[in-house]
Amino acid sequence: MKPRVAFFDFTCCEGCQLQMANFGEALLDILNLVDVVTFREVMSERSEDYDIAIIEGSITTDHDVERVKKIREKAKVVIAYGSCATIGGINGMKNKFDLEEIKKYVYKDGAKHFSTIPTRAVHQVIKVDYFINNCPVYPPEVIKVLKAALQGIPYEVPDYAVCVECKLNENICMYDKGITCLGPVTKAGCNSWCINNGNICYGCRGMVSNPAKNGQMDILQKYKIPLDWVVNKVDMYNKPRELEEEKPKK
Amino acid sequence: MRYLLLKKANFDDFISSLAQIEKVVAPVSRGYNSFSFAEVKSGKEITLKYIPTVLPPKKYFMPQREKLTEFNKAENSVEAILEYEKMVIFGVHTCDLAGIQCLNIVFSDKPKDINYLVRKNKLVIIGLECNDYCDQYASCKVVDNHLPNGGYDLFFTELDDSFIVHVNTGLGEEIVEKTRLFIPNDQEHLNKLEAIRARKREIFKEEVNVKHKDLVTLFNDKAFESKVWEDLDKRCVACGNCTAVCPTCYCFDILDNINLDLNTGDRTRRWDSCQTEPFAKVAGGENFRKTRGMRQRHRYFRKFRYPAERYSRYFCTGCGRCTRTCMAKISLKETVNALAAEQKYKK
Repeated sequence: MKPRVAFFDFTCCEGCQLQMANFGEALLDILNLVDVVTFREVMSERSEDYDIAIIEGSITTDHDVERVKKIREKAKVVIAYGSCATIGGINGMKNKFDLEEIKKYVYKDGAKHFSTIPTRAVHQVIKVDYFINNCPVYPPEVIKVLKAALQGIPYEVPDYAVCVECKLNENICMYDKGITCLGPVTKAGCNSWCINNGNICYGCRGMVSNPAKNGQMDILQKYKIPLDWVVNKVDMYNKPRELEEEKPKK
Repeated sequence: MRYLLLKKANFDDFISSLAQIEKVVAPVSRGYNSFSFAEVKSGKEITLKYIPTVLPPKKYFMPQREKLTEFNKAENSVEAILEYEKMVIFGVHTCDLAGIQCLNIVFSDKPKDINYLVRKNKLVIIGLECNDYCDQYASCKVVDNHLPNGGYDLFFTELDDSFIVHVNTGLGEEIVEKTRLFIPNDQEHLNKLEAIRARKREIFKEEVNVKHKDLVTLFNDKAFESKVWEDLDKRCVACGNCTAVCPTCYCFDILDNINLDLNTGDRTRRWDSCQTEPFAKVAGGENFRKTRGMRQRHRYFRKFRYPAERYSRYFCTGCGRCTRTCMAKISLKETVNALAAEQKYKK
């Protein structure tokens, strides 16, 4: 029997699921391997009986916490899908503000009808088996992770900088063009997708586990880039990382 | 073998007629004083006066991704794969010729790397002399690569209105015959060539405070514990740029990829870098080169000591790419000088 796959969305734009719907021919190959039983964006049928849960979006309300825990109980394998699910993503910007204040700013008089908690990535609430980073997800990596999950083998997100892949693509370094780029602190695996297309790295894959703080500060100084400027850029996708930093070290 | 002349007026025709016979790659400007080897159809696309390209021509000798085998699980079969492409590489500087020679040595060592050796024989190399330093980062003299030292089929040196061309191999002769643009040279041209070389012997000075022969002893056991590496530990950000651009870094990783039928697939090798966090990490989570300083030290020892002991040759070609590309401005020349100063070395 083919594994049953269900897609779920939490706080997100559902763009990563749209990527899947846009896969083209590879989608047919994937459908040979799995039965999709729940996928709100592309089908009306739904089922509570699934093996693999692919979760898009970050966890931002108490209701989300309950719901995602129930998904974990039912699924044999949980895949966090996209930046919001893997690192909190841009929804994490909320964590910079007083939650009550920011709720009023967004919902005005309606604020009293909503509950809110600090934005968390999925693995900050439940155990996650596979991570598919990126905003939106990078199709070649999605296929890699799906193949790993179907074979029951681990997938390691590369724990080195985007620069490693960027240099192999012979891109001219953004810093040499006088532009700040988050490549040096962001996990690779996207084949420097944005820089190949003339854009900077926004850090949507999350930070490497061991960023060189001293070295990075030297570089900022050399290029005369203010620190808070870069921190702001990092926070755009990565604010919820602080929830992990606060945890006592084992 | 022999010398010939190619008029500069005929250079464009030379490249376009060559491009009709074979794929031709050559240095092309990418803006921001950056260059890369890329396919060209005419001489106009080529920048003759260029500083070392972002990636060296090693990308043609050992592709970034290279399929080694294809397998079929159901049939329990494995097939060896040999991927190569015939090509003429035009405009290779002497530093990069040296880099290719280093790769040849390594991949000819036992066990021989058949994929590399077959591909190498499909590549024709046309060298191009630097009549002057490219920039302040180069250190080609101290590693003795500022003058041509073989490793090419044809070698171009720019004179006033022509190139004097050294025809070094049968493959070089073939190009001469097929393109029909080369003419005999006079003694006058050879004199000019000798004048250029004599001038180069004057201009090119050992770029570090260490003699060529002493570089290997500088990287001694005591140097392993040097403060220099602690300094690099604080500065390096492990972006892996220095190893990607190095003409003699050949480390690779081998990965198995399965197709979406979950039955067939391939075994592929791809470039790896000793500067990244996971490179020396093994099962159980142990990392043999945990710090960036240890990894930088390894890189330097891998250029100046280990290959010197094993192959009697430095694996630094003096191209200056690692320094040029480093975000943290880690300089090869400064590192060597700092080691020399620490050891109170006198030239």
